[in-house]
Amino acid sequence: MKNIIRNIFILLLLVSCSHDDSEIVSYENPEISLVIPLGFPEFNNAVYNNIPTKYGVELGEKLFFEKKLSTDNTVSCSSCHIQANAFSDTNVQAIGIEGRLGFRNTPSVQNLAFINFYNWDGSRLELENQTLVPIITHEEMDSSILEVIGKLEAESFYKELFYKAFGDDDITADRIYNSIAQYEYTLISSNSKYDSIKRNEGKKFTEREALGYQVFQEKCISCHSTELFTDQSFRNIGFPINPNANEAGRSRVTGDPEDYMSFRVPTLRNIEVTAPYGSFGQFATLKEVLDYFDNGVLTADNLDPIFKDNNNRIRLTEEEKNYLIDFLKTLTDYKFIDNNI
Amino acid sequence: MKNIKKGIAAVFVAIFTLTSCTEDESVATMNNVTLAFNNTFKGNTIVLGDATSTEATVNTSAEGQVHHFSELKYVISNVRLLNSDGIEVAYNVSDLDNGATVVDQSKEETLEYVLNNIPVGEYTQIKFGLGIETALNTLDEVSFPSFYATAGANDTQMHWEWGTGYRFTKIEGFYGADNNTLSIHSGSTVVGTEGAYTQGVDAYRDITLSLSENAIVGNNAPKIMIDADFDKLLSGEANTITLGDSNATPSIHTANNMVLFVDNIGGNGDDNITGMFSVNSVEN
Ligand code: HEC
Ligand code: HEC
Repeated sequence: MKNIIRNIFILLLLVSCSHDDSEIVSYENPEISLVIPLGFPEFNNAVYNNIPTKYGVELGEKLFFEKKLSTDNTVSCSSCHIQANAFSDTNVQAIGIEGRLGFRNTPSVQNLAFINFYNWDGSRLELENQTLVPIITHEEMDSSILEVIGKLEAESFYKELFYKAFGDDDITADRIYNSIAQYEYTLISSNSKYDSIKRNEGKKFTEREALGYQVFQEKCISCHSTELFTDQSFRNIGFPINPNANEAGRSRVTGDPEDYMSFRVPTLRNIEVTAPYGSFGQFATLKEVLDYFDNGVLTADNLDPIFKDNNNRIRLTEEEKNYLIDFLKTLTDYKFIDNNI
Repeated sequence: MKNIKKGIAAVFVAIFTLTSCTEDESVATMNNVTLAFNNTFKGNTIVLGDATSTEATVNTSAEGQVHHFSELKYVISNVRLLNSDGIEVAYNVSDLDNGATVVDQSKEETLEYVLNNIPVGEYTQIKFGLGIETALNTLDEVSFPSFYATAGANDTQMHWEWGTGYRFTKIEGFYGADNNTLSIHSGSTVVGTEGAYTQGVDAYRDITLSLSENAIVGNNAPKIMIDADFDKLLSGEANTITLGDSNATPSIHTANNMVLFVDNIGGNGDDNITGMFSVNSVEN
């Protein structure tokens, strides 16, 4: 018994010692507690395998803004994913190094910790596996992971950042992917006017916004549902078709003709600042999108039943369109898109 | 005990011969096996050509569509040889740098793939993959820099960036009287581990071919002549395909419709495990 007590005592000493030691030799790198905003769905499971830490996120942010990730050092992730546009951009289709034109529109990067399918076609299921794509794609950064690692190794401050984030200064591919994903996990937008109204923080919809919200609940919410404003399903809603031979929508991944030209229902958060719209920027304004719904969409065998059963359209009066747009603007999160706050 | 002694003796002999055989003509313990790929339309070696080429080999599909190729590439990996005792010799199957290759019809040197240091023996069967198994199909430049570079070269373009995998086949060409463009790429889009894929299409096909006569690895380095009959692409055991733009078939850079072509040239992995491949002959 005596021995046990003594051993516990020694153990306690040991624990506290090693704790002290570690403070001296390594940085304290606390986990960042991500909060699930009211009504948001659960995290993607991948988050639990790559929990953001203070220095992991700091490194990831640095890398997200790092032009050395592109072969000619001219383009960073943030060149296309611009904070003022909720980390999307204003180009019709993405523009990479040397002005090369991609074949899709740049989506926003927000609330991705809660998303289970990434990219317009859901080709990636974990953000950690997404980062390599832009780095090596000819029309985006056209680099390679060894080229990137080589450039980062030449910078002493990166060695320090990797050390702080991961405990030693090895610059590895996985650490690059993980830290960038950690940063992306922290990009949570949940402070729009809509949110404060939902949380009863004293704000109120204007009359027009309230009418717009009503139309939204009648005509849009079956797909743009949940607090993410997407049910994360893939649907063909008859938008004009991308002529690029690489485009097949979701069936690019699944090979299933049922998924032909189906796309992940996009979030509508911060939609005011993410124009142009559609998978290859078919629409310059929200009004154009709504006019298109009203006038009728392209038909297809796999056109979503909500359109198919309604003569391929969503009828909207001009008033309803204006109300809807007013409502959609309440989803703008100024704190999220302003990098000075 | 006796056996162990025998075994040890054998090892000694083996080491002895290994070290000595580099110098003289004594019995080898290992030798090379060459895989020679002959890409054909119904047995006629394919000559590539652009739209208006008069030299290009023209093929006619079961549906009567003429077509010819300007580019023809595919990946071979996961090579295994089966010896007459039924034992499988796997050739660098988890190492793309030393166990995978891009066969490119426009580069003669790629039509022969040399398997180094295959143990002496008689081999009856060869297995290989058309494409790359999912576990290795990750564009992992850190682990396999040399294969990554070869496959990604500007004149090869066998990276499928958006799927972070390799292209397994890349066929460019022309079809019909008007020389419409044909562009058929395949690659895997599966996510997850084998047997538990969460989404996507597996375009990898495991090929098994019986050798027309045993390949004898000894003092000689045998060569296995393999025919790949691309007539099967449109007119395969699985599918008879008509190219046309209404069904988006001629431009398959996605998993959509891809499987039709893959099953034709790579078999379905079930009752067809040869696809377009056959062993023409073995040179011992
Ligand atoms: C040339 C512009 C460009 C660059 C540079 C770029 N992206 Fe993107 N990004 C896009 C486009 C376009 C898509 C949509 C791709 C698709 O659907 O196939 C996208 C998609 C994404 C997505 C998925 C978003 C969603 O809603 O599912 C993430 C995450 C992302 N990018 C992160 C990054 C990171 C990290 C980098 C830097 C390593 C980066 N991007 C560099 C244009 C770009
Ligand atoms: C049947 C499901 C469905 C309904 C109903 C629906 N949408 Fe969508 N919405 C989608 C899909 C899927 C896309 C992406 C389509 C594409 O790019 O091809 C989309 C795209 C959009 C876009 C472009 C977003 C971007 O980032 O590019 C806007 C804006 C939009 N919808 C608003 C609305 C509004 C407002 C309503 C109600 C009037 C509505 N939607 C009704 C499924 C739906």
